Amino acid sequence: MNKANRSSEAASVNLSELLARVDNDRALLCELLSIFKREFPDHLQALRNAVAGNDADQAARVSHTLKGMLANLAVAKAAASASRLERLARAGEISSLGGALAGFEKDVQGLLPEMESYLAEARL
Amino acid sequence: MRILIADDDALSRRLLEKTLERANYEVTAVEDGRHAVEILSKPDAPRLALLDWMMPELDGPGICREIRKRRDQGYVYIILLTSKESKEDIVAGLESGADDYLVKPFDAEELKARLRTGERILHLENRLVEAREQMRFKATHDPLTSLWNRGVIMDLMGRELVRSQRERGCTAALLGDIDHFKSVNDTHGHLVGDQVLGEVARRLLLSVRSYDFVGRYGGEEFLIVLNNCRPDSAIARAEEIRKAICTRPIQTDAGLLGITMSLGVLLSSDWGRRPADELLREVDAALYAAKTAGRNCVRLAKREEPREVASAPQPAAERFR
Repeated sequence: MNKANRSSEAASVNLSELLARVDNDRALLCELLSIFKREFPDHLQALRNAVAGNDADQAARVSHTLKGMLANLAVAKAAASASRLERLARAGEISSLGGALAGFEKDVQGLLPEMESYLAEARL
Repeated sequence: MRILIADDDALSRRLLEKTLERANYEVTAVEDGRHAVEILSKPDAPRLALLDWMMPELDGPGICREIRKRRDQGYVYIILLTSKESKEDIVAGLESGADDYLVKPFDAEELKARLRTGERILHLENRLVEAREQMRFKATHDPLTSLWNRGVIMDLMGRELVRSQRERGCTAALLGDIDHFKSVNDTHGHLVGDQVLGEVARRLLLSVRSYDFVGRYGGEEFLIVLNNCRPDSAIARAEEIRKAICTRPIQTDAGLLGITMSLGVLLSSDWGRRPADELLREVDAALYAAKTAGRNCVRLAKREEPREVASAPQPAAERFR
């Protein structure tokens, strides 16, 4: 897993926290990572669309979901920027959403490949 | 212990499900509030619920409000899962009827500890319900025989009379009295007398249908209400009851005792619209006629006959029972 940690600067899952959360159940870990892999791209796209369309309600809903998923997988930094997005969207600060989204995208950069490598290792 | 999880996020739902299964809960997981309400409204619903605060359509507090509207079912202990930190939100959540809340991402040990609190509350409720049911039973049943007590059996008879009148049916009221019961008590003592009463009650219950009513009317007197009874079969059914008592002797601490019962029978269809207490007097007169006829027999309350008997100089209780 060290390889994975090295390969991504921004994303970084807190692996020990995550393993504690699944009670060291590798099969469950795989399952959760697969759910994430399957659902994350759609949510991200929905968030981009909402921000582009100035739809604050939708942006709040999607960022709330993303925040929950990321927090459950112990990706603290990205969860915090999703939380910031949610807060701004709820406050109706549409003009700030674009910048916040850019920040979020930066934080989740490399997250999927990182998950992928955990998945590969966990399956061994 | 069964538990319902409602969370629209598949990842969080799976994590919760697995964590709780590991803690030996029997988990039902749904992905929205409507399904949660549906499941919690079923008669055998889980009594513990873990609800995500934010869900499309119906959110956690919305589910709480729906569930708390109902008064007819057992208590559901509800924990909301939230990532909200503001006090106003938490107050609003608790005021919607939630019992507790937990901040996501949850800590498994804390979750389990809070669920144990919920189980304690549910256990307490179960004990209260049980105590209430016991009190209700005691208030409506005769302690010795566990049959309906006098007040209840008279109410039931009154209700059945009204119903059979409305439906143009027939209710049969049977008043049975154990013959020479006083001598059982005098000869063998009250303990043996109680054993006889208990066994007679058991045999009465066995000889009626599940929807008929049997009550202890007085000391050794039993009132039996046969609902929807065909008038031409009432006497035969009373005979069956009589035989159920006299055919086999009753086992008591004083050995086997031969016990018999006299019965008065009244068909509501013979008497038109009369109040229950008046009909009770008539069936009592028919019982008296059965005693006069030598006991261990059945007599029907007819419009004319019982009146003659009722004019006997002394009350039945003194002379014949």
